[in-house]
Amino acid sequence: MKRHRRINEGCDLDMTPMIDVVFQMIIFFIVTIKMDENINEEIRLEDAPEGPLATGEDPRTMVIEVDRRGWLSINNVQLNRSQLEGIISRRYNRFGNFPVVIRADRRAEHRHVRAVMDLCTNVGIWQIDFAAIKEHRN
Amino acid sequence: MARKRTVRNRGEAAKLEMTPMIDVVFQLLIFFIVTLQEQDILAQLNISRPAPDDQATEDRSIDLLTIEVGADQWVLNGRPFARPGGLPQLDRQLSRLASFSQDASVIIKCTADSPHGALIQILNILSREGMQNISVFSL
Repeated sequence: MKRHRRINEGCDLDMTPMIDVVFQMIIFFIVTIKMDENINEEIRLEDAPEGPLATGEDPRTMVIEVDRRGWLSINNVQLNRSQLEGIISRRYNRFGNFPVVIRADRRAEHRHVRAVMDLCTNVGIWQIDFAAIKEHRN
Repeated sequence: MARKRTVRNRGEAAKLEMTPMIDVVFQLLIFFIVTLQEQDILAQLNISRPAPDDQATEDRSIDLLTIEVGADQWVLNGRPFARPGGLPQLDRQLSRLASFSQDASVIIKCTADSPHGALIQILNILSREGMQNISVFSL
């Protein structure tokens, strides 16, 4: 009886530390995953390794996407110019000035970017940021 | 004998079956590892946009750097640089001009058919040189 128990104990692996580690990893991945980030994946940004780091600390920031063909979108929802103008002017009237980031494809022609900038200047936003890739991660 | 059995039963009841939970947890872990994709680190290049009828900017400053971005070339103060081969020369020229005064006004004029990437390349160089007053005009 005594010998039998000792053999069982020898086979038994202590799982507790492994489960702890695995749970820690799961919590890490759940926290770092970004499911809500709706960006147009087709847009290829130009590299700007010397540019200032985008902090993304201002929650009022509006990111306007311009793809290769000049199609406009916000959060990957496609818009035409009058819809975009309506969104920008309504927001400006309600909340005042807000930062605008234009996330334009490197191959997009300037006239499409200009159209977005003109919409912003029409309502009174003069400061505009362009998004570019500082460092590739994938 | 009867007492012995009760003791053993109590010991078995306290033991939890861990195998299915560990299976599920590993599945979750594998899912998260596979779906994890790191985002690129972004830069934000700030420019200001002139008012549509603002003519005063043109003759405001003598320390003026004018860069024209065309469909296949850059023009810096009247001197053309072909794209993309001319970028290193343009880079040298720009940093030489920028070293004279950091707070010179820079005016970038873009033609309608110029690619956006060419403008970003200029802004990247200007950002490295620490230039602040950058205006982008559209031709």
